[in-house]
Amino acid sequence: MFDGLLDGYTQSILIFAGINVIAAYSFFAPFKTGQVSIGQAGSMAVGAYASATLTRKFGLPFLVALPAGGVLAGIVGVVIGFPALRIKGIYLLLLTLGFSEIVEVIVLSWDYIGGAQGFRQIPFNPHTLDYVLVLIIAIVVFFGRLERSSLGRAMDSIHQDEIAAEVMGIDVVRIKLVAFGLGAMIAGIAGALYAHQATYIDSTTFNVMTSVEILTFVVVGGGSTYWGPLAGAAGLSLLPELLRSLRDWLELVPVAWTNFFPVNRIYDFLYGFLDFENAKRLIVYGIILIAMMIVRPDGLLTRDSMPRWRAVRRKLAHA
Amino acid sequence: MIYQQLVNGLMLGASYALVAIGYTLIFGVLNLLYFAQGEVFMVGAFVGLYLVLYAGAGIYGAIFGAMIICGLIGAVAVFVAVRPVRKDRPLAPLISTIGLTIILQNLAVYIFGGQQMAFPETIEQRLYQLGPVTISSAQLVILGIAIALMVLLWLFIERTKMGRAIRATAENHETAALLGVDVNRIVLITFIIGSGIAGVAGVLDGIKNSNISPFMGLAAAVKGLIVMLLGGLGNVPGAMIAGLMLGMIEILSAAYIGTTQRDFFSFSILILILLWRPTGLFGTRVAEER
Repeated sequence: MFDGLLDGYTQSILIFAGINVIAAYSFFAPFKTGQVSIGQAGSMAVGAYASATLTRKFGLPFLVALPAGGVLAGIVGVVIGFPALRIKGIYLLLLTLGFSEIVEVIVLSWDYIGGAQGFRQIPFNPHTLDYVLVLIIAIVVFFGRLERSSLGRAMDSIHQDEIAAEVMGIDVVRIKLVAFGLGAMIAGIAGALYAHQATYIDSTTFNVMTSVEILTFVVVGGGSTYWGPLAGAAGLSLLPELLRSLRDWLELVPVAWTNFFPVNRIYDFLYGFLDFENAKRLIVYGIILIAMMIVRPDGLLTRDSMPRWRAVRRKLAHA
Repeated sequence: MIYQQLVNGLMLGASYALVAIGYTLIFGVLNLLYFAQGEVFMVGAFVGLYLVLYAGAGIYGAIFGAMIICGLIGAVAVFVAVRPVRKDRPLAPLISTIGLTIILQNLAVYIFGGQQMAFPETIEQRLYQLGPVTISSAQLVILGIAIALMVLLWLFIERTKMGRAIRATAENHETAALLGVDVNRIVLITFIIGSGIAGVAGVLDGIKNSNISPFMGLAAAVKGLIVMLLGGLGNVPGAMIAGLMLGMIEILSAAYIGTTQRDFFSFSILILILLWRPTGLFGTRVAEER
């Protein structure tokens, strides 16, 4: 769709940002019922390896392998979700962490899917950007509809108070399981997209830090409204690219202003820092995370900030 | 052979136990899963390395320096990521300390580079034959320090006034505060102690494996979590015993089943414990919703 419009670099940045957005919604689904998971990378790995096996080893088209990877990850998610129903809080967090580590160990020791060498030569999918865009729109619309549906309100009530929700006649077990499986399925789809864009995956591609990054997206964007994951994931993924352009501005500063002692050191440090390779990007993430928890623990976007926009729109329509 | 493996298991287990003690202490007083513990462990190893390389410190100097620096990191963590964070959001301190984890790890990558670094030999290499077991002087020192530290800590927790205040805070914040315990100060002290111990564990691990990397913290963090859970949340002696147990299990499964399956066993233990005995083998010391 965008072949003539965007160069390869921009496309790949948008694609990985988009995959992050999808992954963020995979965290958001169980979070809507109050379940915090740091095992989403495990589900991503299941989807990625399953779909890559289907395309590479069985020669199936990507359009078949993508949903298959998602469904398999979803099934695994439900299987994990069953025991997870009994526990919550810290214990659930540890369970999902254990799940993703076990996936990592299995991947590492299973030679059919590459083992320690990693899964190589996964067929490249040239249309990933189109897939990502369509999927994001579908997911956002889905969660938007969900928020106003009875199921969505049931999920919110479970998040607020599980016992009260159960007393009100909500099938807590089923809804929590559905939310968990849905999250795993979305994560599997994100993993499948990633595998066919990067064309190489190994056991460390989807690790604990991946899950932590996914959690960061939702926490920063806001976990109480369906726009939050989109804002957080897109914002944090594109932020380094935007900040990198600050370098162009730095270059405009005349040399005469910066070639004496304290200033030249500061200039060099800033210039070096703003290339934003991985470690520096993550340092900034960490700082943002702590600052957010102090200033705005519910994330950038909350339920309160959404209706206000709607009111503005209504006012504009009436004016 | 089996005796040799048991000694190796004891070595591994001692470092797990030291990391887990910090976790469980902090979990006890704050009900907080303090994720950064593994990264503090890693920073400890690097502080030890730099003290040995550039300050000419011996092993005890390195350990002492790492303990001080990591204790300071613990104090900074309290002031930056724990105190300012809103108390009415149960997730907020967890996430802010995850932020701290990310910062520490990537600061280390940024400063020290992403590769492994060799940890120089600081202890004269000598081998002792104890019956069927061969043990090196380095192993003896590591084991000695780890066990001495655990005993000291146990005495501190069980026998001193401060230790009693920590236990009281772990049991109930409000009651402890009513009885005249300065809860904020106890939290600070607990973070300093837990982080300092993790720093020592990092140096010991560097000596044992003779190389360190900025990514060593994550594995230690995860293993420490398993040990904390196995020993019962907030239960310090439990963490010590569970750490030694996990070390034994890992070494034995690596020796007799296979090295890749080693982690599989530890994580299976994690999941089994979560499902069947969330209070751990020795019972929790904190009231926590399950």
